Amino acid sequence: MKKLITALGLALLIAGCNATTPQKPTSMKAQYEAALAETQAAVKKAASVGGEWRDIRWKKSKKKYLPSAVKAAEAGDYAKALKLLDIAKFQAEAGYKQAMAQKNAGPRF
Amino acid sequence: MKKTLTLLLSAGLVATATQAFSSPKEDLQHFRAYFEQRFPGVQLNDFSNGPYALDASKRLQWESMEEFPPYEEYVDKGREIWETPFKNGKSFASCFGKDPSKVRVKYPHWDSKTQQVVTLEGDINKCLKANGEKPFGWKKGKIAHLGAYLGYEARGQKTNVVIPNDPKALEAYEEGKHFFYAKRGQLNMACADCHVYYSGQRIRGNTLSAALGHTTHFPVFRAKWAKKGKGDGLGTLHRRYGGCNKQVRARPFKAQGKEYRNLEFFHTYMSNGLEINAPGYRE
Repeated sequence: MKKLITALGLALLIAGCNATTPQKPTSMKAQYEAALAETQAAVKKAASVGGEWRDIRWKKSKKKYLPSAVKAAEAGDYAKALKLLDIAKFQAEAGYKQAMAQKNAGPRF
Repeated sequence: MKKTLTLLLSAGLVATATQAFSSPKEDLQHFRAYFEQRFPGVQLNDFSNGPYALDASKRLQWESMEEFPPYEEYVDKGREIWETPFKNGKSFASCFGKDPSKVRVKYPHWDSKTQQVVTLEGDINKCLKANGEKPFGWKKGKIAHLGAYLGYEARGQKTNVVIPNDPKALEAYEEGKHFFYAKRGQLNMACADCHVYYSGQRIRGNTLSAALGHTTHFPVFRAKWAKKGKGDGLGTLHRRYGGCNKQVRARPFKAQGKEYRNLEFFHTYMSNGLEINAPGYRE
């Protein structure tokens, strides 16, 4: 009986390891893909009102958060990609809010 | 208390509405009055000299630069471009008329056919395309050289932008005006923040110029633009717009796109009556 339990336990452990090990990068990748889609939508929204900020994706920016995130993901560094997407999304949302807040901008004299 | 609040709110709304719908002529009066009040010692036409009208020591440096102006060779290059015939035998004179001194003062203007603001650079490239030539780049190089020549030839003539009483033209003007006063970019700054409300003050080693007179000296030779990899020093107004937007960490718009053309329309109108003194020299 003891042998049977040990064998079952071992089998479960091996199966568990096999099942969980490949899931980790898949989940990071899924997180990245979702974040990328959200960020792209936010950037598009900001650009539609002329509120896009410089460092999100402009070709001459040294930071280029969005393209840098894509590059990092391509290199397999999803943690870095997610961090960069977070900044890009924040900037896109802030740019949109700013443009909306400035809708009626005019002289103050 | 409620009545007072309602009255105050109504007054605020009326003031906002009046501000938003003031005519270009009224805008011009208020704009000019603001700068005349802010800088009482500066003569109207001297505003064309940008920061050098506001800072005596910078003016001395600038005057010494103007003794042997670094833009002179580009004016000559521009003259060459103007005089060189296209492959089809025609030249820029076939598009703009024979007298180069009468070109610059016509721009920017509203084109009722295309329903958009037309700039000098836009018409230069239109002329090239119409004659089977390759258009110039929008921000520097040949387009700036030719602009410098046409500006030089027009020196002394007064800026005279006309905003026709056409709803679409007024809309373009209003869009340009809105662009000028709207904060943008990560630094949350408008063109007006630097060049209206903080004009005359320092930003690091530079003096912020007044927006009044800004457009008279473009294309401009900037020492910054003459550094390695930046070009020959000469650049167009839209190049400068892009640079300003970049500095406040906003994504610059395309040179000669609708945004900057409308901004140029408003911005140049605000300098109506001031003499063209292009090309200018700036740090």
